[in-house]
Amino acid sequence: MSAGQIRFATLWRREVNRFMKIKKQTIGAPLLETFLYISVFGAALGSRVGDLHGIDYVVFVIPGLIMMAWSINSFANNSSSILQQKFQGAIQDQLSSPASPLELLLAFSLGGFMRGLLVALLTFLAASLLVDLPVDHILVLIPALFLVGFFFSQLGVLIGVRAEQFDDVAFAQTFVLQPLIFLGGVFYSASLLPQPFQTLTHFNPIFYMINLVRYGFVGFSEVSVALSLLALTAATAVLFAVNLRLFSRGYRLRA
Amino acid sequence: MRRFRAMNALDIEELEKRYPTGVEALRGVSLRIAPGELFGLLGPNGAGKSTLIHCTTGLAQPTGGTIQVFGHDAIGDYGPARQAVGLAPQEPNLDWFLTVEETLDYHAGYFGMPKRERRERTAELLETFSLTEKADERTRTLSGGMKRRLILARAMMHRPRLLILDEPTAGVDVELRLELWHYVQRINQEGTTILLTTHYLEEAEQLCDRIAFINEGQIVGEGTSAELAARYGAASLEDAYLALVGRKELSRSHIEVEAVS
Repeated sequence: MSAGQIRFATLWRREVNRFMKIKKQTIGAPLLETFLYISVFGAALGSRVGDLHGIDYVVFVIPGLIMMAWSINSFANNSSSILQQKFQGAIQDQLSSPASPLELLLAFSLGGFMRGLLVALLTFLAASLLVDLPVDHILVLIPALFLVGFFFSQLGVLIGVRAEQFDDVAFAQTFVLQPLIFLGGVFYSASLLPQPFQTLTHFNPIFYMINLVRYGFVGFSEVSVALSLLALTAATAVLFAVNLRLFSRGYRLRA
Repeated sequence: MRRFRAMNALDIEELEKRYPTGVEALRGVSLRIAPGELFGLLGPNGAGKSTLIHCTTGLAQPTGGTIQVFGHDAIGDYGPARQAVGLAPQEPNLDWFLTVEETLDYHAGYFGMPKRERRERTAELLETFSLTEKADERTRTLSGGMKRRLILARAMMHRPRLLILDEPTAGVDVELRLELWHYVQRINQEGTTILLTTHYLEEAEQLCDRIAFINEGQIVGEGTSAELAARYGAASLEDAYLALVGRKELSRSHIEVEAVS
């Protein structure tokens, strides 16, 4: 391995090691949360709802839950890891190393990405044991999930870099991200909403992400899959470019 | 005609740093440290010592001037420049999640050191700094003195050619201070260039080949301890320092004269 490869692998390993050291909080808690959602919305309410667009309600909900698990965990990991390291001053060790802004950004991003991937994968395996979960369009599902994970990893990095106190991270997650995810159609189909909420839902970017992932699993989407993929790719690229610029300028990282 | 200049370990030219708040922390600092030197940088709190160090190590971005570390521009060619520097900062900046061993291992990894070499170097430095028994403990459980040792060990992990020690003995007991002095002298004799900032004049006097005084973001005096004292007609380095930072009234001889009169 070259010195650069060792450096990048170490930066990335540090981020993964961080969340694995507190896995009760970073892996166990989100898994339990997802399991509770499946129990309440799937088993308890699902028997009353029956099916949506010809799909069993619990199967309809699970793709959204998988997407939610990946996104929230990617975001939470990166925002809290960066803020915590800024708070302790420990980030100085990475910043004063020969690592480039790109290496630093990718390593921080991949930490959250990996945590999201792990939680989403475990959720998928657990859900597969409970219900017969189809995978109809794997060629859409894999890029969609990877893009969602990378998008929220970038968002977590952005918030972590900008944040000056833990309240800033909590605010972004509790008052912005979670409402957008819940109102993006994880638990329902937007077509069931009355106006103007049905139209308003189309302005929620997460609505398109949920539909992409749902299409990958059960073959049902309320929006154009190609357009959603394109928009998600563009949004992820823009966010990555913004973060790279912030890292290159040392924004709120270097004095 | 191309000009050749002997390569310094650290070559700072007209360095300026103005923070977004408008505070001018460095106002045209120029400094040269030869390879193998043990150089002391002294100054009161807020004089610009830490800012100078942060600019050299990439933790702060200069607003003017140049910094070269062994001939590498610290901004434009930051990779080799940072590779050559080891920093032991003033404030403990350890990651609470990591163990002592991981702290050293990760640091060496950031500098591209292969696994086997990392393992050997970690064992060697844990032994040197009497940290072997603490290897598996998380850093947050260490005492203040242990943290200080670990920070110094971490700075040494990648075998830097220039070691920057930002007030390494601030708040440590006499025993550890003497231990650190011995270690600093030893690695300097082995060829590592050292930039030491300190508040303790006797520390600078005893350890450093040359000393610079910094005050209000400017170098106000530079030379050996004897040169500085002679240049400012002072009886000691302490008197020269007080004269240079404009606090002559605190000089012991001045206080004694006042007490007699």
